[in-house]
This record gives sequence, C-alpha cells and structure tokens, in this order.
Amino acid sequence: MKVDTSLPLEYSTEENRLKIFGFWLFLGAEIALFSMLFGTYFTLLNGTGNGPTAQEIFELKPVIVETLVLLTSSFTCGLAVHSMRLNFKKPMMTFFIITMCLGLVFLGVEILEFVTYIGEGATMQTSGFLSSLFMLLGTHGAHVTFGLFWGLCILIQVVREGFTARTANKFFIYSLYWHFLDVVWIFIFSFVYLKGMI
Amino acid sequence: MKWDEFFVTGDPLIYGAMVSIVVVSLAILITLAVTKRFGWLWNEWLTTVDHKRIGIMYILAALLMLFRGGVDALMMRLQLATPDMTFLASQHYNEVFSTHGTIMILFMAMPFVLGMMNIVVPLQIGARDVAFPVLNAISFWLFFAGAMLFNLSFIIGGSPDAGWSAYFPLASNEFSASVGHNYYSIALQLSGLGTLMTGINFIVTIIKMRAPGMKLWKMPMFTWATLITCIIILFAFPAFTVALAQMMFDRLFGTQFFSMSNGGMDMLWANNFWIWGHPEVYIVILPAFGIFSDVISTFARRNIYGYKSMVFSMFAISILSFLVWAHHFYTMGHSAAVNNVFSIATMAIAVPTGIKIFNWLFTLYKGKIVFPTAMLYSLAFIPIFTIGGVTGVMLAMASADYQYHNTMFLVAHFHYVLIPGTVFGMLAGVYYWFPKIFGFRLNEKIGKISFWLIAIFFNVTFLPLFYLGLDGMARRMYTYSEATGYGPLNLVSSIGAIFLATGFALIFYNVIYSMLKSPRDLHADPWDGRTLEWSIPSPAPFYNFAVTPTVQSEEPLWDYKKKGIPIYRDKIKPIHMPSNSGKPVIMGVLFFLWGFCMVFSWWIPSIIFGAAVFIVMATRSFERDDGYHVPVDEVIATENMLRGENQ
Amino acid sequence: MVKQLFPIKHVMGYLLSLILTFIALSVAYYDLSYATGMGILSITAIIQASVQLFLFMHVGESSDKHAVYINIIYAIFVALIIVFGTLFTMIWGHAGH
Repeated sequence: MKVDTSLPLEYSTEENRLKIFGFWLFLGAEIALFSMLFGTYFTLLNGTGNGPTAQEIFELKPVIVETLVLLTSSFTCGLAVHSMRLNFKKPMMTFFIITMCLGLVFLGVEILEFVTYIGEGATMQTSGFLSSLFMLLGTHGAHVTFGLFWGLCILIQVVREGFTARTANKFFIYSLYWHFLDVVWIFIFSFVYLKGMI
Repeated sequence: MKWDEFFVTGDPLIYGAMVSIVVVSLAILITLAVTKRFGWLWNEWLTTVDHKRIGIMYILAALLMLFRGGVDALMMRLQLATPDMTFLASQHYNEVFSTHGTIMILFMAMPFVLGMMNIVVPLQIGARDVAFPVLNAISFWLFFAGAMLFNLSFIIGGSPDAGWSAYFPLASNEFSASVGHNYYSIALQLSGLGTLMTGINFIVTIIKMRAPGMKLWKMPMFTWATLITCIIILFAFPAFTVALAQMMFDRLFGTQFFSMSNGGMDMLWANNFWIWGHPEVYIVILPAFGIFSDVISTFARRNIYGYKSMVFSMFAISILSFLVWAHHFYTMGHSAAVNNVFSIATMAIAVPTGIKIFNWLFTLYKGKIVFPTAMLYSLAFIPIFTIGGVTGVMLAMASADYQYHNTMFLVAHFHYVLIPGTVFGMLAGVYYWFPKIFGFRLNEKIGKISFWLIAIFFNVTFLPLFYLGLDGMARRMYTYSEATGYGPLNLVSSIGAIFLATGFALIFYNVIYSMLKSPRDLHADPWDGRTLEWSIPSPAPFYNFAVTPTVQSEEPLWDYKKKGIPIYRDKIKPIHMPSNSGKPVIMGVLFFLWGFCMVFSWWIPSIIFGAAVFIVMATRSFERDDGYHVPVDEVIATENMLRGENQ
Repeated sequence: MVKQLFPIKHVMGYLLSLILTFIALSVAYYDLSYATGMGILSITAIIQASVQLFLFMHVGESSDKHAVYINIIYAIFVALIIVFGTLFTMIWGHAGH
C-alpha cells in the first residue's frame, strides 16, 4: 500500500481518500434525506387534528440542554481529531470518550422529552403534525444512537492498534458524521423549536 | 394467522405459479447437487466482489424480472383484449398492474441500468474495480433481497393493489387491508438503499479512479451518463427512503402522515413519492442515452457530434429533473400558479433532450454506418423516443393535461419513452458489450429478427393507446363495455403485445442459442470500437487491465489504431485485487428475513434479524482484509491464454 | 500542552457557536415579528452550519475539494427545492382559492 507521509494519516492511502470522498457524498444524500423530513414537518405543521399544537408541547429547557450538550460534543470531537493529528493518543481518546458521553446525555434528555410528550397525550399516532415531528427528531436520534455504537467499535480499534492509516481514517470519517449530526440539530433547534416560539 | 390467510388462495393462476416456483427451485437445487456446484456457486458468484460478475447478476435478475413483468403485461392485455372480458377479476387486475409497474421500473429497469454501469464503467475508465467492491456487492444483495421479497407477495400475503405509485388513501390500511403495501414499502426500501450506495460508489469510482490522462472531458459518453445518473441517484433516492418510511409507519405503526383525518394529508404522499419519482425517470433514461451515444459513434465510424453539448445537456436534465415533480398531479387542485411553474419547468426539459437527439443525428450525418443489432436498436430509438417526448410536452401543458390525465394516453406516452429509451438502450448495450464479457457474440440473425418484431409490434401495441386515451379510456380500468367503442383498438393492441412478447422471447432464445452455437470469437475488438474497454482481451480478465492504460483523448483506442498513439506503456506489475467476501450475501439474507418479518408485523423476529444486520456490519468494521496481489507470471499467463488464440 | 490540545481556532469556533445559539434563543424571549424572528434564525443557523463545515469538518482540505463543494452545493440546492417546493405545492399553492 502506498503511504503518502506528507498528508495527515487519515488521508495517507488512496483507499483512505476514496473513503473520505465517498463519505462526503453520503452526507450530501443525508442533506436530501433530512430536507424531506423538514419539508414534511413544515407541511404538516398545522395538521394538529385533535392533538396539541407545537406551542402547547414544546418546552425550551430540555431543548437548550440538548443543544448545548451536542454543540460541546461536536467541539470535543473536533479536538479529538486535532489531537490525533498531533499523534497524542491519550488526549484523543479522552476527548473521544467525552464526545460519546455527551452523545449519551443528549440521547437521554431527548428520550425524557419524548416520554414527557407521550405523557401529555402527544404520541406519534395523534396527528399528522406529531407524526412528522417524531419522525424528524427520531431520525436524528437514531443517527446519534447509531453513532454511539459505531464510535464504540472505532474506540476499541484505536485502543488496540493505536493510530494507523486505517483507524485514523475511520475516526476522521466518524468525526464528519458527528459534526454533521450537530448541523442537523442546529436546524432542528432553529426551525422546529424556536420557530414555534416566535 | 391461519395458513389460508398466509398464502394467497383461490386463484388457479396463482396455484399454477406456486407449483412452478417450487418445481423450478427444486430443479435448480437438484442440478446444483448433481453437478456438485454448491462450492462453485458460493466461491465464484455469491461471494464475488468482481464488478463484472455483479453486473452479470444484476442483468440476470433484470431479465428474470422482465419475464415476470412481461407476464403481468400479457395478462393485462388479454383482460383488455375484448369488452367485458372475465379472465381476471377486478382485484386481481389491480394487483397485476401494480406489480407490473413496480417490477418493471424498480426491479427490471434499475438492475439493468446498474448492471450495465457495473460491467462497463470500470472498463471504460481503465480501473481494476469500483471504489468500494464489497459495498458494491452489498448493494447488489440488498437489491436482490428487495426484489425477492416483493415477488414473494403474490403467493404469500397478497400483492400491492394501489398502482405502482401507491397513492394514498387507497394504499392505506383502510382501503388496502392486505399486507401487499407493507411488502411494497419494505422491499422497495431495501433495493432503494442498495441503489443509493451504488450511486455513491460510482461517483467515487469515476471521479477518483480514471486512468492517467483521462480528464473529465475525455471520458466516454456512457461514463459521463453514469456519473450524472449517479448524481441524480444520490439526491433523489433519500427522498424515496423517507417517503417509503412514512408509508411504512402509517401502515405498521399507525402514524398519520397520509391519513384523511387527524391532520394528515393524503396528497403529501404523491408529492413525496414524485420528488423521487420524476428524477427516477431520468435515472433510468440517462444511462440509455450514454449507451446510444457510444453505440452510434462506434457504428457510424465517427466521433460523437457535440461532445460538450451532450454533457451539458445531461447536466441540465439532472438539475431540471428535480424541478418538475408536481406535473404528475396537476389535477390535484392547487392554484394555476403552481401548475404554471411546473408546466414551464417540464417543457424546458425538452430543450436539452432535443439537443441530444440532434447530436445523434449529426453524428450519423456523413458517417459510414453499419447495421448490427445494437445499432438497429439505437437508430429505432431516435424516432420512437421522439414520439414519446413530443407527447410528453403535450402532457406538460397543465390545462391540456386535465384531458389526458390518467388516461391511456399517458400510458402510451410513458411506454413510448421507457421502452425505446431504457429497454432499447439496455438491449443495445447487451448486444454491444456481450462479447467483451463472454468472449462470443449473440447471434446477429436472431437478434435482427427479434429487433424487427420488437420495433414494429411495440408500435402496434402502444400507438392505439394514444387514441384510446384521447377517446377517454381511463388507465387501470379492468374492463369496459362494448358501447364505449374501445374494443377494436384494444384488440389491435393486444395482438401487438403477443408479437412483442415473441420478440422478447427470441432474445432469451438467442442467449441460449449463442451460448451453444456461437463461435468463440476472442478478438479484443469485434466492433472496431473506440474506447478503452475494446483494448483488453475478450472475455475481460478478472483484473481488467494488465497494465494501467494512459489516455490522451476521448477515443484512446481509435487514436491507437489510426495514429499509433500507445495506450499501454508500463511493464506488467503485480496487481492488487480485493478479496471475496461472504458478508454481503449474508447481509442480503438477513435483510430479506428482517423485511419479511416486518411485513407481517412479527416484531420479535424482526428485531432479532435487524440486530443481526448491525452485528454483521460491526464485524465488518473489525475485519482486516487488504486484498491480495496477482503475481506478474499469472497476469502474463492469463493474457497469453486470452489473446493467444486470435493473434 | 493545553495550548496544543485546545487550538485557538477550535475554541473560538465553539464560543462563536455558543453566542449564536443564545442570539437564536432571543427570538423565544423577545416579542419579535415573524419575519424578523425567521431572519435571525436563518442567519444564525447558516453561520453555525458554516462553522461546523469549515472549521470542524475541514471541508476544504482534501484534494477533491472542488468535487466536495459541488456535492454540498448541489445537496443544498436539492434540499431547498424539496422544502420550499413541497410547501409551494402543498400549502402556499392553495392560497389563491
């Protein structure tokens, strides 16, 4: 395998470069996917039927917590990539573990939020609006969940093998995924929650 | 659930199908057992990551589905042949036209297109394989799992019956109580995911793995068409994923996306479906355009006229394809402003398409044209497709569409686009590239007979439908009375369909005949081709190129033949190849089982199979497999063996 | 060590995204018109997304950056078409009736 040492480790082989480029394309597809969910949500926003409206169920507190937690995890994920490029294994793993813990906290708060909604009688089956809300939030949450399992697989490989062209590549791609989820959340935060409160 | 609810019962046709499925499956298993071929099947085919073999499997699956969809078509034509026919009951007719459409688009046209891309693109750009060979195999097995799941519906549980576009509220639990549309939403989801991954795979392959010297503007036209098609796939299929997930949630989990009450919006399904559905039309047509360009340029012995305008018009089509979806439901009742916008955008697509038609004509002008079967399909495509295109512009006019909407006129229009476009294109591609893959040609005489049958009787079958549609015959009617006066033209159409089917049957016959009789013509360049794939031996060795080619123009082989510009300058070096993997096919089986359990709402097994899919993915993450190297001696031996007999 | 682990660019990016979050939050607490509120939200969301894209995802660093940019621009184009096209077709288009 040809290794180009002038580039960061995660770009060092041709296969690595193919994978990073391929993942960017996948993120392009994800943008289209989330835009469909947003489009459906905006369309069904007033389709509340006999169920509650957005103003009636949204609570700002858990949302602010979720936002800050996810923003911070995105920041620590960026720091982990930075440490990896400096070849600092321990700091990288620390940042990585913090990132995943914050992801877990995010998920926990989101699940509590869902439980609250359901307790108020706002379920996925109640109205078109709530179906689209739950599917939008749920798809994002499912991505975070998948990211946690995926991250665990990568963490084990970094512990075992240290930074190699392969593990560095995996983690860099993971970081793209994680930052992207943060971007999606920013749009959910702005155009689902805050828009409902103007 | 009792067994007689589980299996579809009460229809002799379906009993016959069940028996024949069991008999054919047994026959295949017994043949494999007698000839001791299980190991061969597993090692050479099921676990392969070779793009050529995956392509062959795609095309075999497409032909199988062509047969299934074709039988559906013949049943419909028989039912409509004369007034008040009682061959099919209304429910059965609904299921037949629904599965005909779905299968022909998603399980015939799509795998045919993807198979062609798989076989041809790496050969045209001088690559050893695609960028992600294992992912490519996963794509195939996802598609195959989806196709098999969908086809299972007609013997277990019942087929979807709300049309291939599955409009709500008709496709909701309330009006389609059988599991048919559960099958629809899950099977299409699986194959759609496979297609999305193929799209990513081929964009990376084309952008990153071209031979040295092959700038973007020096790529063969089919490769360009594939690149642009994959860009459309990349952004259109996620929309389909969401639409199908919403459908699945509505049917299985009681959400209210498309319900008539509780704030749902039934026509939102139509909107979400066609956001994918219209780009999809271009996904199946653009690769055919690419094939026609290559075939016409080869057999007119001229370089393609207007290379750049060809590419720009495909780009324009790719962008416009995302802007026109609402023309499928002009009659929904939105304001004139909406219809105007989509009407104008739709008509605009005629411009780039027209440019391409003229480019093909100018390529032919002053060319030294020869007429093998592949060229005949390409030439027949131009006028027939133009009829389809022009009627498309008629349909694009929103106010006029109120007259044509959901009539046989529309049915005739899209058959006039998709058959000369996609089907002729793929058949031209099969005749053209067949010798490169198998080392012998398909018989030209049988090929030409079947071509003439198809080209003539295609028109006999579908031209009458334009007139029937203008007379007011709605599509999807399972019968009509004599007083409507639709009888004679329908009879003509049905007779045409029989001959059309004969033409297609001759293609199957031709494949078998040529396998047995055709001379093993191992010439690398049987058609006097112009692009890289014709510079390697036939059949193409598994590593494709013994030496990485160097390219200077869009027609490297032509340059070599006319000007002596060499393509292969390096010495043979060991070749790095990916190893086979059993994981894709295992994932395909698990996805199939997951989907089947989901269809019947068997939650616990579906969770188990779903988890199993993720476990296989995790093991793949931990796998260390760097492939292997083919030693120089083996490359030289293979090259000598493949080239030896004809030089 | 700390300086190396917490590069100034990343820290500034993080602070910027926190500030933008609080600016966005203001729409929930102040009595703004719908248009102003949406304007603020759109601007903060776009800047936040750009911070992630350019600072943390290093979008411009690979040798295929042109292809990556085209990909993202095309994706944003499709996303806008899907969102606004759906609204146009399913909601706004009925205003004339």
